[in-house]
Amino acid sequence: MNNIVVGSLESSDCLMTLSPHESRKITIESIVYDAYYEAIHQAITTLLDEHNLHQVHVLCQDKGALEYTIKARLKTAILRYKEVRS
Amino acid sequence: MSRSFLFIPGDVPRMIQQLEIFSADSVILDFEDSVATHQKDEARNLVESFLTQHHFTTPAIYVRINATDSDEFIADMQTLKNLPIKGIVLPKASLAAIETVTKHLTLPIIALLETPSGFLSLPDIAQHPSVEGLLLGAEDLAKSLDLERTVSGEEILYFRSQLVLTAKAYHKYAIDTPFTNTTSDIGLLEDIKRSRQLGFDAKAAIHPNHISAINQHFSPSEAAIHEARRIMTIAEKQQSVRFSLDGRMIDKPIIDRAKKTLDLAKRYRLL
Repeated sequence: MNNIVVGSLESSDCLMTLSPHESRKITIESIVYDAYYEAIHQAITTLLDEHNLHQVHVLCQDKGALEYTIKARLKTAILRYKEVRS
Repeated sequence: MSRSFLFIPGDVPRMIQQLEIFSADSVILDFEDSVATHQKDEARNLVESFLTQHHFTTPAIYVRINATDSDEFIADMQTLKNLPIKGIVLPKASLAAIETVTKHLTLPIIALLETPSGFLSLPDIAQHPSVEGLLLGAEDLAKSLDLERTVSGEEILYFRSQLVLTAKAYHKYAIDTPFTNTTSDIGLLEDIKRSRQLGFDAKAAIHPNHISAINQHFSPSEAAIHEARRIMTIAEKQQSVRFSLDGRMIDKPIIDRAKKTLDLAKRYRLL
């Protein structure tokens, strides 16, 4: 299965990459890592829980995205990921 | 009433989250032409997420949906049904398309006139109760009619006039097509002045840098406000709809126009 890629590396955006994994793994690369790692991680975890997704690797490459953008990009990626796997 | 309508691509967070600072009276978040086919879902989810967290009274928020005969239409409708937006912009407007939209949403519609068949049914479109405004889409229309676009816009004069006439006949807003050249300030100003001369109420834009000039030229001038104040002062003082001012006969249409000028000046915080 190919990775699912959503978003961009432009300013105020993030690139969300989802790929199958034996367990849930979240990798965050961010230009505001020190200040916002916990908030980004929490947003990703919450959305993965809502969609009952546990065996996936989420790579979030953040370029200063606000919370609404991170949630939107991840939601789109999750829906595409589920569609491809169904 | 808005003077300016700024198109913002629905899949660009950097633009979306700055929509308040562009000073546009209305913003049109775009799901259609500025979003690639494979990114339509990204735009829908981004706009939904943004508008769920952020509510606006100014600017007014519209969304340009995909055409009713496109594969994206139903998903657009499902996304918008619970969002706090002022209305939608309907591309390739026709009476059938308007009726299709109203089966899904009860929001006001700005009909985007950009096809020859749309223009042939302009009065029917304008009369529809859900339609609040008519917006000229000159680029797609020119493509359909094999018109060569020019800076002066002579080739679209007929369509501009037809749209204004029909909009005013049915008390709907007339919104002019965007000026698509982003480097010609002189061309922009001439285009805006032409819009005003032809009777448009507002103008769309695809670049934030055009908004200031649009707002300025679609607002009453200082001289017009001053004149309107003088007329209304005398009209109220004399309780009359017919009097002389500076050797000029003032009657009801001129008084009505003065009142409208002051109403607009108040709306745009010029008083």
